[in-house]
Amino acid sequence: MLLCDFHIHTTYSDGSVELRRAIDLFGQAGFDVIAITDHVVSGETAFGKLANRFRFSIQEDNFNSYFENIVEEGRRAWDRYRMLVLPGIEITKSSFSSNQSAHVLLIDIKTFVSASWDFEKIFLEAKKQDALIIACHPHHSSELMVDTLYLWNHRKKYARYIDAWEIANRDDVFNVISLKRYPYIAGSDFHRVRHLYSWKTMLNCEKEIEAIKQCIRYNRGVAITLFRDGIPF
Amino acid sequence: MIIFWIVIGFTMLGLVGFGLQILSVRSYLKRHPSPFHGLDSIRAYPPISILKPLSGLEDNLFNNLESFCHQDYPKYEILCSVQDPNDPAYRVVERIKKKFPDKEISIIVERCNEGLNPKVNNLLPAYRHSQYPYILISDSNVMVERDYLKKNIQFLVDPQVGLVTNLIRGVGAKTIGSFFENLHLNSFILGTVCFLKEFFDIPCVVGKSMLMRRSDLEAIGGLRAFKDVLAEDHFIGEEIKKRGQEVILANHMIRNVNEYWGLKRFMNRHLRWGKMRWKILGYKYVAELIGNPVFLSLTSLIFEGPSKRAFLFIATVSLAKGIGDYYIGKKVNANLHPFVYFLSPFKDLLIGLLWFMSIANNTVVWRGKRYLIGDNTVLSPYSQNSSWTWRYRFINWIRIRAT
Repeated sequence: MLLCDFHIHTTYSDGSVELRRAIDLFGQAGFDVIAITDHVVSGETAFGKLANRFRFSIQEDNFNSYFENIVEEGRRAWDRYRMLVLPGIEITKSSFSSNQSAHVLLIDIKTFVSASWDFEKIFLEAKKQDALIIACHPHHSSELMVDTLYLWNHRKKYARYIDAWEIANRDDVFNVISLKRYPYIAGSDFHRVRHLYSWKTMLNCEKEIEAIKQCIRYNRGVAITLFRDGIPF
Repeated sequence: MIIFWIVIGFTMLGLVGFGLQILSVRSYLKRHPSPFHGLDSIRAYPPISILKPLSGLEDNLFNNLESFCHQDYPKYEILCSVQDPNDPAYRVVERIKKKFPDKEISIIVERCNEGLNPKVNNLLPAYRHSQYPYILISDSNVMVERDYLKKNIQFLVDPQVGLVTNLIRGVGAKTIGSFFENLHLNSFILGTVCFLKEFFDIPCVVGKSMLMRRSDLEAIGGLRAFKDVLAEDHFIGEEIKKRGQEVILANHMIRNVNEYWGLKRFMNRHLRWGKMRWKILGYKYVAELIGNPVFLSLTSLIFEGPSKRAFLFIATVSLAKGIGDYYIGKKVNANLHPFVYFLSPFKDLLIGLLWFMSIANNTVVWRGKRYLIGDNTVLSPYSQNSSWTWRYRFINWIRIRAT
């Protein structure tokens, strides 16, 4: 089984760990597959304007360097740890209302996708790039100031676009995903080192991008595990 | 007023001691690493079994294990032992095994509860599976250079030498707990170890790296003889010395990589080590408090009040200590940013407080379990039920005095 984490932030957005260090941290811990998913924040709200102003967001002008850096670090991670690193982003539409907020991971993305677009356009663009679309922390969360319920509340409209839903995020578990029998994964929403120890995805497939995407889309051979550090001497 | 001058006197004594520690580190590192140079032929290097007790994800674990696979040494095996197949360290060792298929690496998964010392419990299965005549006990959080085995084994050419241990330096800090940890390892621990060796010829055994002959270890009862003591490294060294053999403190430094420690972990470790030294040293443990000039200078605030003179005194002592720590850090390539040394007085304050805590309580938390520490760091189980505990302590007190 492959030990995977598809939800990792770095100092490219609001993470506290640099890309290289984050990759080393996961490589050292024996992970097989990770996705770097820094925020792309919608600039429509006051929150988004601030995030863009203070560079807590990937923007169109730095997307290429972000992407190339991930690819380059990915090569190093493969040589050193035999760990696969996928480039991704987290489309971040946040407002003061839970019902208007939604975050979506686009994994194995190749070109910039703006968070200011409407969801339909974002999803179609992601499909065009053959990226995985994951709805993250889709239900009530213990850690977020404002829950991101928009996609869940509009699931009838959007579920057909979404490849998987986060059934667990960091320490939270969203049982509604299980009740609706939606395809699922788990991720750490890694921002700080301590977030390494959180819910993770296990995949029973080859360590190869297409196989991983298939495994998640068909949602067979997917399991979740609570990754703990043990107690060092 | 008189008390203030007494405090100054003790603080100055502490500073002089610290100065001697710096001199000891300096002179010890200058020496040639080994008195022997006769092992030119590759056939002369005997095979070594490296025992790695693993539990959880230590910082830098992958790189640490990898550094042992890069050893410029003809024949050795690495035996990694975990108590549980679900331990995350297991995956890391598997990855290392795949990366170095030509190396003799084994993972031993065996739950062992023979003793109360969890590290010895973890070592025992690996020791049973080891096959070579030389045993190296090496902690999971150490990283070594390519010539580490070659340099250490040279001392054991002399049959009078029974154990080789190494100096350690803390590197790689990225969080406040690891800054404190590395500052303490590189100043107090390293300084004291070198000072005791230089001035009193007492080699402290550092459990992170112990190389010995299997026959010598067997002669002192094997690892099982140390399964119930907290300071297994110290007592292995003591038993070796009792046999009339020498314990060598090699000046080939090993790296202890501490990257992401929290303050709690730092305090827990040094409280445990403090209690261990208190049980081993007895009243001599007071010397450690005198060896903490920053903490002593802070006590002037109690006797003198928050006066300008007291603050000037504290600032001067803290500055002198910080400069000394910086100097040692430079000497051992600790790779700490100069600003980190401004944390040194806060670390010393914390260590001073831990000193009092270590003599106030005789229980220790290790790997999530609490134990009672008796004389010579002998561990006993501790119940959370306080009335039972007091009865147990009373019985233990009688038992210790009766034997």
